[in-house]
Amino acid sequence: MTQPEIKKEEILAVLPTVSATIADALGCDLEDVKPDASLIEDLDAESIDFLDMVFRLERAFKVKIPRGKIVENARGTLTEAEFEQGGVVTDIGLAQLRSYLSEVPPERFRTPTKVKDIPRLFTTETFCKLVVAAQREAKAAG
Amino acid sequence: MADHFAAYSFVDRIVEYDAGRRARGRYVVPADIAAFPSCLVAEAVGQLAAWVAMAHIGFRGRPVAALANETRFRSEVTPGSTLDLAVDIESCDEHAVAYAGRARVDGTDVIELVDCLGPMLPVEEFDSPAELAARFDLIRGEGAPAGRFHGVVAPRVVRTAGVPGVSASASLFVPESAPFFGDHFPRRPVFPATLLLDAQIGLAMSIAAEATHWPAGTKPAPSRMTHVKMRSFIPPGALLDIDAELAPSGADSAMLRLAARMNGKTAATARLEVIARAAHP
Repeated sequence: MTQPEIKKEEILAVLPTVSATIADALGCDLEDVKPDASLIEDLDAESIDFLDMVFRLERAFKVKIPRGKIVENARGTLTEAEFEQGGVVTDIGLAQLRSYLSEVPPERFRTPTKVKDIPRLFTTETFCKLVVAAQREAKAAG
Repeated sequence: MADHFAAYSFVDRIVEYDAGRRARGRYVVPADIAAFPSCLVAEAVGQLAAWVAMAHIGFRGRPVAALANETRFRSEVTPGSTLDLAVDIESCDEHAVAYAGRARVDGTDVIELVDCLGPMLPVEEFDSPAELAARFDLIRGEGAPAGRFHGVVAPRVVRTAGVPGVSASASLFVPESAPFFGDHFPRRPVFPATLLLDAQIGLAMSIAAEATHWPAGTKPAPSRMTHVKMRSFIPPGALLDIDAELAPSGADSAMLRLAARMNGKTAATARLEVIARAAHP
């Protein structure tokens, strides 16, 4: 699945609710939930928090966000073998990842990048994009 | 394995079943136990949802207590009552089950669960898939024999610090062994989240009782629990640091933030809303 081009205004439209939802799920102050905040590195989110945030966002926006597919979606059109080898993201995979996670500051991408560490890159804006993508899918489905 | 499906199992029979979507069940609370706390009623609702979820994915995975966005406490359940359980499954797949549910006694709601989510983990890690499938057939058919639950001994909780009516810290000593570990779960004993929550509610209510802002003639009672999030499995013999902090939210209500830490790491968090109810003489 290719990442649809998501416009800045689409992100800004959902950002307040996404930020509030993340703050509520993590029990942190809203002002700490900045658009480029790494949810794991900056806000101490754990895997259960990701599940919680997706669950809450589904309710807040009345959309379905497929669980367990965020990393899979990041792969785009690449096969699993093209994207990663032995749990490490390949060069072509890393280029795809940088493109998919264009909102993530470049310096946060490490070489090598382990697949299990990909969620460390996710930011508030990443979740805004997930919501916008889900809204588009819901709209397309009628 | 005398404790399996006995020491911490709270669905005797499934009386209505729509695969992967909804179910109703029953549980007879033994009359000879001292008490059946609200957290065990919530556990019964969660277990009914777990049966529907496990059956839906062929007993490959089982949900574990993880997220309960809201639990509304309506009234107490007395031993000897029959719980009428109901769950609606919002979604269920190999990753997680999302559901809502409630328990009634004699047609009156005693507890409601809203927006609950349990991640699915491999069944083999916790229990025998074949034994679970056989048990499911039993409770969907003639039903399991009632009265096999003999109560639980509450874990020892020792208050260590705090400010009366404002906050409290305590040590919770998870027992090394207990009958419920044989049922929860046979292959990997885990201290039930609902027993942790029960202990946390106990600590929270002791603070609420010390608070002085309650109107005359009333006493605090749990109203609802929100933001329940379990972050870690708690093994037998664990030592937990539990904390509760009260913030009045009105003349007749308060919100308590609850946390449990294990080895310095947050293991569980929740919030408890407490409201004033008329004090009976």
